[in-house]
Amino acid sequence: MNLQVLSCNHHTADLSLREKLAFSSESDLQQAYRHLKSAFPSTEVVVLSTCNRVELYTAQVDEELCPSRDEIAKFFSEFHDVPVDLFMNEMWQRHGAEAVRHLFQVACSLDSMVLGEPQIVNQLKEAYRVAQENAACGPLTNPLFQQAIRVSARVRSETELAEGRVSIASVAVGEFGRNIFDRFDDKTVVVIGAGEMAEETLRYLQSEGARRIVVINRGFERGDKLAKEFHGTAKPWDELDRWVAQADVVVSTTGADVPIMTAARMKAIRAKSAQNPLLILDLGAPRDFEPAIAEIDEDIFLYDIDDLEATCERNKAARSGEVTKALKIIDEETERFMHDVSHRATGPVIKQLRDQWHDVRAQEVERLLQKLPHLSPKDREIIEKSVEQIVNKLLHPPLEALREEARSGTPHGLLDALRKLFGISDR
Amino acid sequence: MLSNVTVYCFLASYVIVLICELVRWLKRSSLNRVVILGLGCAGLVAQTAYLWQRGLQTDLPPLMASSHDWLLVLSWTAIVLYLFVSLIDKSLAVGPFLLPLVIVLIIGALLVSDQPQTIMFDDPDLSENVLKRWGMLHATLLMFGAGGVMAGCILGLMYLVQHRRLKHKQILHEGLTLPSLAKLARWNWWAGAISFPLLTLGMLVGVGMGWYKQQGSQPVSFADPVIIGYGVVWIVMLVLFFLLVRTRHPGGRQVAWWTIWAFTFLLVTVLGLQILTKGVSSLNSWHAGRADLSSHIVSRLS
Repeated sequence: MNLQVLSCNHHTADLSLREKLAFSSESDLQQAYRHLKSAFPSTEVVVLSTCNRVELYTAQVDEELCPSRDEIAKFFSEFHDVPVDLFMNEMWQRHGAEAVRHLFQVACSLDSMVLGEPQIVNQLKEAYRVAQENAACGPLTNPLFQQAIRVSARVRSETELAEGRVSIASVAVGEFGRNIFDRFDDKTVVVIGAGEMAEETLRYLQSEGARRIVVINRGFERGDKLAKEFHGTAKPWDELDRWVAQADVVVSTTGADVPIMTAARMKAIRAKSAQNPLLILDLGAPRDFEPAIAEIDEDIFLYDIDDLEATCERNKAARSGEVTKALKIIDEETERFMHDVSHRATGPVIKQLRDQWHDVRAQEVERLLQKLPHLSPKDREIIEKSVEQIVNKLLHPPLEALREEARSGTPHGLLDALRKLFGISDR
Repeated sequence: MLSNVTVYCFLASYVIVLICELVRWLKRSSLNRVVILGLGCAGLVAQTAYLWQRGLQTDLPPLMASSHDWLLVLSWTAIVLYLFVSLIDKSLAVGPFLLPLVIVLIIGALLVSDQPQTIMFDDPDLSENVLKRWGMLHATLLMFGAGGVMAGCILGLMYLVQHRRLKHKQILHEGLTLPSLAKLARWNWWAGAISFPLLTLGMLVGVGMGWYKQQGSQPVSFADPVIIGYGVVWIVMLVLFFLLVRTRHPGGRQVAWWTIWAFTFLLVTVLGLQILTKGVSSLNSWHAGRADLSSHIVSRLS
C-alpha cells in the first residue's frame, strides 16, 4: 500500500495561505476531483478542506504510479492559481503508518486548534462523502476513512477528551446560562457594545434559541449592524437602564475604562424590574459591571471574563490529561489498520506460496509411496507427516520475514522478491 | 428463602449505592454506574420480596398494614423512581439527594410499630370490604401526598446546590448534571402544589372512614394523638400551599426552603408520633395499632 498525505494546516501555515489553498464549496471540490482524476487516474484521493487545514490523502497500489509531492503541489498551484513557492515549504508529507496515524489524530481532534472540538469529525465525514460521490475512493481509502470515523467515536467514548467547554462564549452560555434557564426563546438578551466577543456569544445564544435580541452601543450604527446580523433591534445608549431592567441575559463588551454599571445604579434598576433571574456576562476588560452587583440579590448571576477563562482553562487542562489515553488508542488502531492492510496485500502471496509447496510435497510423497508399496498405513502416515513438517519448516523463514516486514507497511520489495524467486504470478 | 429477607438487606444495598453516588462526584467510572444500578436493583428486589412477605403475614396490603409498611412502600416508590431516572439519564445527579431520604425512611420504618393495624377494619356491624377499600384509598393518597412533599424536598435541595454552584462560579464534575434553576423551581412549585390536594383528599377520606366507623359497634375517637398530629401537619401544608399559590412566581430559593422545611416537619411529626406510640409507656393511639384501645374506643352502646 502506498498511502500518503500532503497537508497544509494551522501548525505550518497562516490563515491567509490556507484560504488560498482551500476548497470552499462542494462545486470547487467536484472540480478538484475531476482534475485529480485526469492527472492521477488510478490513484484513490480524498480532499479534506476546513478552515484549519487543506489535506490531500492519496492511495495507490503501484508505487511507481503514486503521485509525488511535486506533482500534488503542481495540482494545487494550477487549481488555485498560486505559485508553488508560496506554499511548498508550508506543505508537509507523511507516508504509510504515519499518514494513517495523522488522519486518526485529525479525526479525534488531537490536531485541532481547540482540543476535543467536535466539528472536525463531521467535516471529515463530509469530505469522505464528497470523495465517494466523485468516485475518488477505493479499496484503501474506504476502509481508512471508515476506520478514522470509528476511531474518533472510540476516543470520544473511552476518554474525556471532548468533555467540558473550552471557549469563553460556550462556557458562558453552555456551562452557566443553560444551568440557569432551560430555554432562551422567551428570554430578552441585551448586548452592550458590539465587539467580537459579543458577536460570538450572540451566536451561541442564538443557537440555543434566543430570539429577542437588543443591542445597545455608544455608536448606534455599529450596534444596528450587529443587531441586524442577528435579527435583533438596536437601541440608543440612553435607554440602557430601561433595557437592562427588562433583560434576562446581559452580555457586555464595551471595553470602557471604568465600569458602566455601578452597584447603586443596578440596585435602582432591579428595584424597578420583576426581579427575575438575571445572567450577566461581563466580557469587557476592564470590567463593565462592578463585582458588588452579584451581591444585590440572589437572582443575579454575574460572570466576568476571568471567571469564564478560569473555567475554560480547567476544562482545557482536563482535556490535555486525556491526550495520552487518546494517543494510545490511536497507536493501537493504526497498528490494527496497517496489519489489516498488509494482511490483505501479503495474504494472496502467502497462500500461493503455501499451495505451491504443498502441491510439490503431495506429488513427491505420492511418487515415493508408489515405489514403496510394502509400507504399512502407519509407516505411510509417518512419512507424509515428516515431509509436511520439512516443507513447513522451510516455508517458515520467508513467511516470518514477510510478516515482520508487513508490520511497518506493505513490503512491496519482499513481495516482489518472493514472486520472482518462487515463480508466483499475480492472480 | 424470601422469608429470610430483612429490612437490613435492602438498607445495606441502598447505603452502598449512596456511597457509590457520592464517589461519582469525585470520579466518574463506568464500573461505579454498574455497581449503582446492580445494587439498586438488588435492593429493590429484596424490598419488594420483603413487602410481599409482609403482605402475606398480615393479610393486608402493605400500605394499610402498619406505619412500618407504609414507610417502606413510600421508600420503595422513591427507589423505583430513582432507578428509572438513573437508567434514562446517567448524568443526572439525583442519587445524593434522594437516597439519604430513602435511608431515613427505612431507618424510620425500623423504629415504628410493625404490628398490623386491624382496629379500623374489625367491626361486625360494618362491611369490611368498604372499610378496606376506603382504607386503601386513604393510605394511597397520603403516600402520594407525602411522596410529593418528599419530591419537593429533593428538588429544593437540588435547587440550593445548583444555585450555590452558579453563584460561586463552580463547575460540576464532568458527566454529572443538575437540571437548570428554572426547571427545578418549576418542578418544585408543582410538587408542592400537587401534594397538598392529595394530602387533603387523603385526610378527608380518613375523616369519612372515621365517621363511617361511628355507625358500627366499635367506633374510634378522633381525639387520637396521631390524628391530631397529622392534622397539624395538614395545617402546615395548607400554609405552604397558600404561600405557593398566592405568589405564582416566588423566588426559587424561597420555594426550595419552604419545601425542605415542609418535608422535614412532615417526617419529624410522622416518625415522632409513630415512635412515641410504639412503646408501652408512650402515647396511646388506636391509629398507630399498639394502643390500649379501651381508652379510645368509645362504645356507643355503653
